[in-house]
Amino acid sequence: MAQIEIRDLTIEYRKPNSDEPFVAVDRVSLDIAKGEFVTIVGSSGCGKSTLLLAAAGLVNSASGSITINGKEVSDPGPDRAMVFQEASLLPWRSVLGNVRFGLEMQRWKKDDPTERARRFIRMVGLGAFSDYHPHQLSGGMRQRVNIARALAVDPHVLLMDEPFGALDAQTREVMGDELLKIWERDRKTALFVTHDIDEAVFLGDRVVVMGRDPGHIREIIDIDLPRPRTAAMLDSDQFAAYRRRLREGLGEDMAAMHMITEAA
Amino acid sequence: MMTELYRRHEALVLGTLSLLTIGILWQAVVSAGLINPFFISTPGAVFKEMGVQFADGTLVENILASLHSFVLALALAAGVGIGLGVLAGWFPDAEAALEPFIWFKYSAPTIAFYPLFVAWLGYGTPTIVAIAFLFALTPIYANTLSGIKNVDRDLVRAAHSFGARPLDIFLRVALPGSVPIVVAGLRLGVGRALTGVVVAELFGASAGLGYSIAYHAQLLQTTKMMVSILVIILLGVVLTQMLSWLEKKTDSWRVP
Amino acid sequence: MAMATSKSTAMEGRAWNARFPLSRSTTISCLSVLLFFVVWQVAPELGLVNGRFTSQPTKVAAAALEVFASDDFFYHARISLTEFVLGFALALVVSVPLGALLGTSKHARYILDPPLMALYIAPTLVLLPIMVIWLGIGMASKVAVVFLGVIFPIIVNTMAGMREADPRLIRAARSFGASRLDIFTRILVPGSLPSILMGVRLAVGRGVLGVVVGELYVSQVGVGHQLMTYGSSMRIDRLLVYALVISVFGYTLTSLVRLLESRVRNWRTE
Repeated sequence: MAQIEIRDLTIEYRKPNSDEPFVAVDRVSLDIAKGEFVTIVGSSGCGKSTLLLAAAGLVNSASGSITINGKEVSDPGPDRAMVFQEASLLPWRSVLGNVRFGLEMQRWKKDDPTERARRFIRMVGLGAFSDYHPHQLSGGMRQRVNIARALAVDPHVLLMDEPFGALDAQTREVMGDELLKIWERDRKTALFVTHDIDEAVFLGDRVVVMGRDPGHIREIIDIDLPRPRTAAMLDSDQFAAYRRRLREGLGEDMAAMHMITEAA
Repeated sequence: MMTELYRRHEALVLGTLSLLTIGILWQAVVSAGLINPFFISTPGAVFKEMGVQFADGTLVENILASLHSFVLALALAAGVGIGLGVLAGWFPDAEAALEPFIWFKYSAPTIAFYPLFVAWLGYGTPTIVAIAFLFALTPIYANTLSGIKNVDRDLVRAAHSFGARPLDIFLRVALPGSVPIVVAGLRLGVGRALTGVVVAELFGASAGLGYSIAYHAQLLQTTKMMVSILVIILLGVVLTQMLSWLEKKTDSWRVP
Repeated sequence: MAMATSKSTAMEGRAWNARFPLSRSTTISCLSVLLFFVVWQVAPELGLVNGRFTSQPTKVAAAALEVFASDDFFYHARISLTEFVLGFALALVVSVPLGALLGTSKHARYILDPPLMALYIAPTLVLLPIMVIWLGIGMASKVAVVFLGVIFPIIVNTMAGMREADPRLIRAARSFGASRLDIFTRILVPGSLPSILMGVRLAVGRGVLGVVVGELYVSQVGVGHQLMTYGSSMRIDRLLVYALVISVFGYTLTSLVRLLESRVRNWRTE
């Protein structure tokens, strides 16, 4: 049995001051096995982030269902943890305080939260920065904190919403590499949303391509690159072939994307 | 359909209801004998008294007297505040020379110097205008200063590239560019000038809304006081709204 | 600084710094204050103004010594300070929770916004005579006026702080299973602290104003009463001593709150 089962999921938004619903995700079905790393790509407005928020239990579905370990998702729960884009760290808390935050919210009792937080901060390579505040860190460092915060609560499923979207291209590559190294340790089931084709191929066992109006799954591509992945693979012919195929898959949306300003 | 209409105007509906409720409660606590009307009067009595004062001309006379001082004070404050603000904004040395006094003015409650103004100018309009002028001066000066100082550097550079001289830049870039923030300062100044006028009138005047409150307070005529208090609150809201409107208009000059 | 001349000013500044230990602007500020005092001292002596109306710095300094030594200064100051502190404390207790309610509930905001805004804009000091009728000429009416002057800026700024809370932070907290109470105490309150403190800072000036106006209007003790006494007996020197003490108090308190505010705001510099 798949660990995450998404069945005919439809999500609607109600625009403010209007009774007309807007369909963000339309009858999406997807199965994800335990330990699998699945990336979702698509242009803005294709509902990829909404899908992730629904898996996190932060958005309600209009119909269909998401089950994780056989339990239907309706609220956020300790079996999942989410990594957001950069501005989700509490600016008034130190690195340590931010990583502890998730543990505090979940009333963590298994071991000492402070010690645990420190361990995960060391794991993402920020051991020397635990007393720093977010505004003193670079974008890449902030995202390490974000990842540490999510991993510290020991979730079954890791949900990542364009975690490197605000970083520059080089940092982004380094972070992708680091993320995989950390992930290799215990291979938690991961769902990773991005609009970057290279990132999607490099990280994923499978890439889900989504299209817009309304958001739906266009195709799912198995990525047959060996693990652990290395930066050298980015230049391989195999990688180039995946890249080309994804670019074709996203083709029409890529053209349209230039016309549309980023929608929240 | 009704719910749609309600949702769209919820703020207006609830806000109006809340003001009505306050009026009804006010009347109710007195009618039910919970509070002696001597202390708070009643809305009915206040409206009736407002009609009486309007008919015999005292209300209009008081409003005009207060507005007279208010306009004088605001005009003075705008002239001096904007003048000094421009001067200090353009010449750093002028800013340095003025700064200690502005800081003092900022933290000193102007009204503490009221007896001094009475000693200089006597009771009446000149003192009232002087107090209200000082009340309104600070925000107008501060906003003008920051408006001129923080002129968009890209605009200045662009003007430079077309060969503009400093005077050109001042007249055509800095001055127009700071209009929205100066207007915001004026809006703050309006509220403070009104406070200054009314407070100074409480202490010594022969006409005006503040005078009317103080006069009737001595005779313990709550209803007559309430008339002036309500009119002042209304005046504050109306004047500030007018400036907010102006602020919105001028704000669109700015490229976001 | 004038943009057109910024380059040359910077160079002059460097040459200046080489010769003098103080910066150019500090020197000018000091000279300007010095000039003010000299004119104030000399003008009455030269007969340019009537010294009876302006006093002189030296006389004010002498009067300050007298006032602090005798004149029951500390008695009056204590009364005024008590009025200020009581009114301020009461207002804090009421305004922060009320502002929090308004910031988190749309309906509460719709209902309370019109009367609140009217009172925020309007000079609440006009309610002073009514307060005197209700509460008498003693401390209670001054406490009430301070309360009324102070409460609205704090409510409005608390409300704004809560409303401006970053929805992304709230979402992140919810994703870890935060309860509504968790979100309130760990996101909304710390997030709006700078805003609340800004309200407090604006309120300090209004509070001081409330005490002084209240005591000028009618009182038998307090610094405002002393101001009135020396004003009507034309003791300008003593009048100025009291006015200066009040100013220094307002300045110091405002600066302290501002310091705290910028400390707290530092976390969120992005």
